[in-house]
Amino acid sequence: MNHHRAGRLLSAYMDAELPAKEAREVQEHLLDCEACREAHDRLRATRDLLAGLPPAEPPAELWAAIRQPVLRGRLAAAVPDVRPQGLVERLRAASWSLGRERWFPVRRPGWVFAAVVVVLALAALPLVKGTVDRLHASEIGVDLYVHDHAVQMGAAPLVDRAYLGLVAGDAELVMAGENPRAAGGRTR
Amino acid sequence: MRLAPNALTGALVLAITGAALAAPPAPPVKSAPAQAAPAAPAPSARAILNMALDAPRLIDYEGTKIITALRNGQMETVTVAESHKRPNLLRLEYLSPEDVAGRVIVDDGAVAEHYEPALNMLFEDRSIQDTGGPANLTLLNRNYDVVLLGTDEVIGRQAYVLSLTPHGTGVQRQLWVDRLTGTVLRSEDRDASRGLVLATYFSRISFSLNLPPAYFRYRPPAGARIVELQREAAGTLSLAQVQRQVGFPVLVPPALPEGYTFRGGSVSRFGSLVSAYLRYSDGGNIISFFEAPAGSIGWPTIGIPVRVQSQPGRFIDLGYFRVLIWEQGGLRITSVGTAPSDTLMLVAGQFVAGREQALVSDVSRRATADPAVVRQLRSEGLTFPEITRTLAISHALGTNIETTVRFVHGTLSVSDLAAQLRMEPDALRAAVRRAVDAASMTPALPSSPPATVPTGSSTP
Repeated sequence: MNHHRAGRLLSAYMDAELPAKEAREVQEHLLDCEACREAHDRLRATRDLLAGLPPAEPPAELWAAIRQPVLRGRLAAAVPDVRPQGLVERLRAASWSLGRERWFPVRRPGWVFAAVVVVLALAALPLVKGTVDRLHASEIGVDLYVHDHAVQMGAAPLVDRAYLGLVAGDAELVMAGENPRAAGGRTR
Repeated sequence: MRLAPNALTGALVLAITGAALAAPPAPPVKSAPAQAAPAAPAPSARAILNMALDAPRLIDYEGTKIITALRNGQMETVTVAESHKRPNLLRLEYLSPEDVAGRVIVDDGAVAEHYEPALNMLFEDRSIQDTGGPANLTLLNRNYDVVLLGTDEVIGRQAYVLSLTPHGTGVQRQLWVDRLTGTVLRSEDRDASRGLVLATYFSRISFSLNLPPAYFRYRPPAGARIVELQREAAGTLSLAQVQRQVGFPVLVPPALPEGYTFRGGSVSRFGSLVSAYLRYSDGGNIISFFEAPAGSIGWPTIGIPVRVQSQPGRFIDLGYFRVLIWEQGGLRITSVGTAPSDTLMLVAGQFVAGREQALVSDVSRRATADPAVVRQLRSEGLTFPEITRTLAISHALGTNIETTVRFVHGTLSVSDLAAQLRMEPDALRAAVRRAVDAASMTPALPSSPPATVPTGSSTP
């Protein structure tokens, strides 16, 4: 098993969703492959970070902040004559108004931290994926191109098809995530 | 055609050398020199070549084939049971060595299915029998010397021995063509630097068995995983179409070995890797160029580090195929072919030199053509020598550029163009030769001292 296949299976492996045979292959690959091990560690760290966050309890004032303006009609009554025209002014007014109700998120650092972690994890995901993709591409790149070339060589009259099938078939194994076929047969 | 003594000696030397290199096992060919000559006059080499090309449409067969090929510095021998039903059904069942034993490929001329028993996986892929249409035959006839070396005996059958030698650089092919059926019973591919790189022969063959069509369909065992690769034909996208699909500027080779012409482009996709694919063929061999953004693919772990001009590169000698990878202008370019390593390095050097604008000006000035026409022809995938040739032929024959490009690409044969121009084919050939000889092929390959590729194993 190579980067390409192991990389696709890492997430399922971490979640123990793989059949025993594939899980064992991934485990063996991780022992041999530093790049996949690093990718695995990064994924596990991100998962652990997210799992370690405190449960998202709504602030005690939330219900009051919603209920009171509704019940008293204060939010609707407070705005009409002084409603700002621009978007920035509206946002400022809204935050000022909510602040008066003592529900401004900066007063809950746990929430801010959680949001930052989630944003960072989401931002890092393409980076990690890009690195893994790049590793996969470098591993299958030559075989992918040799495969396409071998298939196209069929257009050259009288090139042996059985040989082209052998080359294309070997490349397909690598593209599917298997290790390249070792030099076999009888050698001189 | 009778065989000249020297040619016969050469053929025998080649056959014996081939047998020695391919050993073990030794090809069961019994050389039959003078007394094996046919009683009736032999047909011409071109007629025998056409017979070999037509045979798959006319003949069914089933046999055991031995393939000996250079692979990672060693000769590997593979045995395969090969069956063919006309016109284009093919079944290959690999028998040995152990790591390919049981592999089955069935191909109906459009789709190839490859079953790998060890993995219980079925790959659906493009056919390996796409003949590329009549243009390839036109190019083959134009760019190769086809010579009848004589007759020989292969597994007790009389065969014509044909030699196909490219005018330019590349693999020289020798074919043993069955006298009665036209089937290729044996073949050898050699290159100048390494000698024999691929040899095949039938150790047993039976004809006209009326094999059932069901034999050429494969039903995988239950639970087999099916992997669908790019099933549609690579097609012949224009360069502009390829560029639109990949979303980055695609580079066109400034010069290639003699005879190679643009045979179409396509887009190669695998996961997140999207590459532009340009194919150039001389009718008998292909050089492929794959271009992808440099950031989308790392360097392979195999191969030998090389410098292409000043750019980093990597050379991988896989045996029959060679691969050269280099970077320029934010692109990772990979060339694959059977051409010698020096030729691949020269071609890459022309890319890296980046003299596009200077060459456009130079060719347009020499050919007294509008630079816009030269740029237009470049955008159609023509190399600069091809553009020079196209403009020279167009001037000489009075043909428009579009028709001349078709002629240069091989999609318009000499006889068809001669008919259009109401000329004799021989007169047309002579006129074309004069026009081409008068034109200066800038930059022709090889035009500079060959770059050298370090020797050594390309495997890790």
